[in-house]
Amino acid sequence: MPDQPSRRGFLQGGLAAGAALATATTAARAADDPAITEIQDWNRYAGPGVDAEPYGVPSPYEAHVVRRNVPWLTADPISSVNFTPLHELDGIITPNGLCFERHHAGIAEIDPAQHRLMINGMVDTPLVFTMADLMRFPRENHVYFLECAANSGMEWRGAQLNGCQFTHGMVHCVMYTGVKLRHLLEEAGIRAGAAWVMPEGADASAMSRSLPLEKALDDCLVAFKMNGEALRPGQGYPLRLVVPGWEGNLWVKWLRRIEIGDKPWQLREETSKYTDLLANGKARRFTWEMDVKSVITNPSPQAPVTHGRGRLVLAGLAWSGGGRVSRVDVSIDGGRNWTTARLDGPSLPKALHRFYHAFDWDGSELFLQSRAIDENGFVQPTKNDLRAARGENSIYHNNGIQTWHVAKDGVVENVEIS
Amino acid sequence: MSRFPRLAAALALSLLPAAALAEGDVDAGEKVFAKCKACHAVGDGAKNRVGPQLNDVFGRIAGTADGFRYSPAMVKAGEDGLVWSEETLAAYLTAPRAFIKGNRMAFAGLKKEAEIDDILAYLATFSQSGDDDAASAEPAPADTPDTPNEETAIAEAEPKADEPEEAVVEAEAAAEPPAHGVFHLGRPATEAEIAAWDIDIRPDGAGLPVGSGTVLEGETVYTEQCAVCHGDFGEAIGRWPVLAGGYDTLTRERPVKTIGSYWPYLSTVYDYVRRAMPFGNARSLSDDDVYALTAYVLYLNDIVTDEAFELNQDNLATIRLPNEDGFIADDRHEEPHYAAGVEPCMRDCKPGKAEIVQHAAVLDVTPEGDGDEDGTGGGID
Repeated sequence: MPDQPSRRGFLQGGLAAGAALATATTAARAADDPAITEIQDWNRYAGPGVDAEPYGVPSPYEAHVVRRNVPWLTADPISSVNFTPLHELDGIITPNGLCFERHHAGIAEIDPAQHRLMINGMVDTPLVFTMADLMRFPRENHVYFLECAANSGMEWRGAQLNGCQFTHGMVHCVMYTGVKLRHLLEEAGIRAGAAWVMPEGADASAMSRSLPLEKALDDCLVAFKMNGEALRPGQGYPLRLVVPGWEGNLWVKWLRRIEIGDKPWQLREETSKYTDLLANGKARRFTWEMDVKSVITNPSPQAPVTHGRGRLVLAGLAWSGGGRVSRVDVSIDGGRNWTTARLDGPSLPKALHRFYHAFDWDGSELFLQSRAIDENGFVQPTKNDLRAARGENSIYHNNGIQTWHVAKDGVVENVEIS
Repeated sequence: MSRFPRLAAALALSLLPAAALAEGDVDAGEKVFAKCKACHAVGDGAKNRVGPQLNDVFGRIAGTADGFRYSPAMVKAGEDGLVWSEETLAAYLTAPRAFIKGNRMAFAGLKKEAEIDDILAYLATFSQSGDDDAASAEPAPADTPDTPNEETAIAEAEPKADEPEEAVVEAEAAAEPPAHGVFHLGRPATEAEIAAWDIDIRPDGAGLPVGSGTVLEGETVYTEQCAVCHGDFGEAIGRWPVLAGGYDTLTRERPVKTIGSYWPYLSTVYDYVRRAMPFGNARSLSDDDVYALTAYVLYLNDIVTDEAFELNQDNLATIRLPNEDGFIADDRHEEPHYAAGVEPCMRDCKPGKAEIVQHAAVLDVTPEGDGDEDGTGGGID
């Protein structure tokens, strides 16, 4: 295999650890396991008290579970993205500190007492709300995924990044608490002829997008909590827009203003960016909805198979901007044959779904794929389907089927196959 | 000082040159500093922007400006004993990337020795070192937290718009319950408040302020404020956005999406520059400057060719960009793979055994911590 030395070291490190574990298990049958027969420190000595960590943090043994940046993607880390470590997580909820971040001028550090939300434009009464005002509207709780339109965008021209954290890590899913945008707009009074709204952020990138009024009145939220606690600064503290099922760029963070108008504004983010260039040189615009998609998170390149042949649990995530995921199929032979996986946990519209597939691995090489189908009947296409329809310059909205190659030694790699 | 004991000698030495910057011209240095101020602030109330604030930079240990997030390379340079002095700053400004490999300053460097002398003379006027008693006073300004400067900086960061005091607003609200809406929450926005925030522009010209600027005026502003990232001709430095050229590349393997080759509307340029540029110092340009810059970008793209061309509130919306008709509506669901009613295949769906046609590992662009990888294409936006 034409591995680079650094990658070989990385993967062999993982395998060596796995081999050591396997040895320990085998040895335990013959000899006694010191993890059991010897008294461990934590079994003898008292640990830290309840005041040791007023805000708890993960175990030091989980220190490798972090968001990561891909330095070559952007000019500067201030206007860049980091990726959720999907291969280290389970269930459907992303921990707040691991939700991927995309900033265009760094994190705005806002004192909530100084934060205002203005509603202006085609309204009867332009209004200003404080955070305290917003708490007096009816509150709702919803679990939604948020996916960047550019998630998997580095894979249009072929397999490039070796890890589902990098190929698919621009997605997260949390429970939001907020108020319906509809209530805020109606409080100001929408004038006849209004058709669009423009949410605007308070950060130094003047982040803003045009959003159809119909969507704004449907299921958009103005949220101030995620997973029960205040939004993290990197997720728009103290206020962000939630646009269920639609591309993450619309979910304006540090939300300070919503203007109502009769035409789209054609802003920088919806013209020069977030438009999908096709092979014929034309570009689709206003491609808001996130298509049906899935990925196997384990095994994956950063999470190789370390236990050898025998029982293997394959785990993954599926989601659709169109609603619920109704089914996920998995293939271990590169899409020749498919088996329906088991969906587990809550199945909520426009939220991540968790699936599992367990089987006995005979130790031969595998080509793992997953294929999601949503409640509207849309089937996740292959990457080559998408390339045939769009070319390779779209950047955004790559929801193609991902292939992981599992070698006989358990090493997993991002590949394209015949 | 205790963190860097071995720097004591170096610091004491470095404090002296500031007084001895006789060869540079402070006024000329201020002009040269225009190239820096998109990212760096200096003077009363200066705060960190894209780059650290530069008050008391002479004598500062590299990588230690309070509250600024440096590259690991810069922090390491400081830990290894680098202290900013006339000599070290001159070397750094000549070739920033060569002097500290891996640092984040996106600046190619000053090529003329005189410019370096001048800018150092200018910066020295904002450094306290050089006095006779400097060495015995605070030896490392960067190690002193909560300086008065920082207080001022925070005050400066408050919104400048005329926002009414909350107390006043509440008094009004208490006097008479608002008549609007369903829940009667919030309060009417004032005209001044709306004017402060509602500065967006549409393609039909809605929102354009009164003003004007010419290509020539724009060139001056561009050279000072924009060229450091976007390049002298809009060709871009590093991975910052390319602004000009790229015609007839949209169907190629590597399309170059510029204002001339891709953007549909000129209003977007005015709107974005006015609200978000220069990067790290947004909303610092005058309305006339933005007209001038927008005119200059048209010139860089050969859309206007006359250096005397003036852009203003009346003619901006009449100018068409070449790719206005290059956009279509979202028709993803018309693609053949989304055709309705097709049951996905479950058995023997493809002939033959799967063969690998491309490995991600061969490219080896996945980050593993050393930051040397470079992608072969594709990006996030």
